[in-house]
Amino acid sequence: MQRQYDEQKPRHHNIVAHIDGHRNDVVGSRSVTALDAVSVYTPAFRVPIEDLADPLELTDIQVRLFRRFHGLDQIRFDPDRSLADLLHAAADGLTALRGREHRVRYVIHGRGMPVVVPYPHNPLHDVCRELGLEHALTFTVTQQSCASGLLAIDLAGRLLAGDPADDALALVLTGEKAFTRDARLLPGTSIFGEGASACLVSANGSRDRLLSYACSQRGEFDTEFGERAEKFQREYRSSLAEVIHRAVGDAGLALDDIRLVLPHNVNVVTWQRLCLLIDFPVRRVLLSNVPANGHLFCTDAFANYQTARELGLLSEGDRYLVATVGAGAGATFAAMVFEH
Amino acid sequence: MTAPDAQIDVELRQRVVQAMSAVLKRLVDRDEPISEDMNMADELGVSSSLGLELLLEVEEQVGIQIDVEKMRPDELRTVGELATFIAGHSRPW
Repeated sequence: MQRQYDEQKPRHHNIVAHIDGHRNDVVGSRSVTALDAVSVYTPAFRVPIEDLADPLELTDIQVRLFRRFHGLDQIRFDPDRSLADLLHAAADGLTALRGREHRVRYVIHGRGMPVVVPYPHNPLHDVCRELGLEHALTFTVTQQSCASGLLAIDLAGRLLAGDPADDALALVLTGEKAFTRDARLLPGTSIFGEGASACLVSANGSRDRLLSYACSQRGEFDTEFGERAEKFQREYRSSLAEVIHRAVGDAGLALDDIRLVLPHNVNVVTWQRLCLLIDFPVRRVLLSNVPANGHLFCTDAFANYQTARELGLLSEGDRYLVATVGAGAGATFAAMVFEH
Repeated sequence: MTAPDAQIDVELRQRVVQAMSAVLKRLVDRDEPISEDMNMADELGVSSSLGLELLLEVEEQVGIQIDVEKMRPDELRTVGELATFIAGHSRPW
């Protein structure tokens, strides 16, 4: 059974919703949502932000601001790969999937863009067929924009917790094309790049265990139509701080217990100022991918996880926090705490 | 957070105030004088993104690099408070 929800584009005006999740949130379940394996594909092709001034209609001062304060340098693109190619490239690196395809019951694509191809094309279904996963329940979540990747992890965990098969797995994919000016530019804030990730999720793994998930959906911050943009900007950091504190508290931890923060790569100055607000050392926020990648939509969290692993920044037992903000038709602030 | 006044280079702060005043007038399209006690958000309509543009132009005009890592925008509400912060948290370019 395959199902696709791409055309859904809900409006969340004047709705404030809070979601809290943790490892034992399914009644009667002993499951522990875990990331068994993560693979990330980031294109080798990168463009200096100065070269994007013309296509993105940026003024000279906007470019200098992006470089000086936002910390942007180069943005990754892959002009030769389609969305399906990007997702496939990420899944190709997921060696833990090989030979276990039959155990994958769910494939969830978390992405920011509600519509990415004309009907009836469906890159996600194409990738599932190519990977031998056509038997899996397959759907896409976009409702939380760039926070949809974390939502997909939470959903995967919930579905697996309720699945009768103890060894069931879920594949969470992120990735998208920055295919229009609107998709490439968050004015005054960030520039989007291209990349993809594939993450194998289990309900009883021991690798990277999900300890908590806090999410705040703020329908009143409707940046897509320019309403409340100023209020959104003003309350951005305090709203993100609130879900960070909630996720850390729900995990039974204090902020000092967090070894590393894996941020969304919106820009550097936002995280510098957020760290001052929550009194957390900015050196423990992995920001090195901001100048190297740009903002890779939902993929930032996974790309930063991979970088943290490559740099040896996480040791067994370390608790780390992933935090992100999705902005579009309403805003979502989300944070997860994991134990490595 | 503003640095104690004793550590402030008064001459540098004056140059910062002059640069801020000139840049702000242009950014918010204002002909009237800008005074140090003006609230930048409420009275001048400076958003956080416009605030960054202000910092960049002040850096370039005064020839300094501002230590933005230590800047708490919520505590720097007036033109004078920001000028004091910049004079106390910057180094020559």
